[in-house]
Amino acid sequence: MNTAFHDHSAHSKRPRPLNQRNVLTRSSRFGPNMTPMVDVTLVILIFFMASASIAGHEWFLRADLPETQDPNLQESGYSLPTPMLNADLFMRDGQVFVRGIGDEPRLIETIIEQIHSMEDSVAEGLILGIRARDDVPYWAVVSLQDAAASAGMRIAIR
Amino acid sequence: MRTRSIITNEGSGARINVTPMIDVVMVLIVFYLLVGQLAIDRKASILLPSSHTGIDESYEVDPVIVGITAEGLVSINGVSIELNRFAGEIEGMHTRAPQTPIRVRADRSAPYGAVRPIMHTLREAGIPRVELMTEQRP
Repeated sequence: MNTAFHDHSAHSKRPRPLNQRNVLTRSSRFGPNMTPMVDVTLVILIFFMASASIAGHEWFLRADLPETQDPNLQESGYSLPTPMLNADLFMRDGQVFVRGIGDEPRLIETIIEQIHSMEDSVAEGLILGIRARDDVPYWAVVSLQDAAASAGMRIAIR
Repeated sequence: MRTRSIITNEGSGARINVTPMIDVVMVLIVFYLLVGQLAIDRKASILLPSSHTGIDESYEVDPVIVGITAEGLVSINGVSIELNRFAGEIEGMHTRAPQTPIRVRADRSAPYGAVRPIMHTLREAGIPRVELMTEQRP
């Protein structure tokens, strides 16, 4: 009986197997529990990353608003001594045309290619004055501004 | 085997474990803040035109955002405004803070006839230039 009792006592003092140990027992923790904060931070991080990729990146094109209503924009209201191109956008047969750059009205896509092919020395410092009719979609105006800005031109909205 | 409970009786006495509740509340707050902001943008329903070039600058002062929807509805900083009140509002803003940049967020499909009166009003208010918001083309 004594031997059996002794054996049972020895068995109870034996260390628990490794797979039964809990490394995060309450007794072994010190300080605040960081796990929930890390959880929340990760969720927020993923949410921001997902929303940023969905929303897309926004930036802007800068455009002057010259005070004059003069169609040539060369008068005192716009006093920059810089050569100026005047582009007049209008619709014809459901397509956007540009008058003022070149001899005759051309499709906006052609004008954009023409601006892209301009030499930097020519385009740099030019002012592109843009006027558009009421039925011209806004994206067409911005497309022309985009091409002009990439060529180094300054933009004036008339 | 110990069972997990939100009410523990360890230590000096019974207490409620509030950590999961704080987790959930924080996630909900962040979620509602973001969804609320997205809802405002969605309400404005402005799809920006895209551009290859652009400027990405931030200022010390918050710019005034002028929104124009495809239907021609105008807003200032997300608040809808009638066109006949727009001039007075923007002039007041420009007088109070002349250095505040003006950003125009107009829908890509808006007819220019809806944009021109805004540009004209800004010009009449003495604003020398505007920033036309676009979406970066990939």
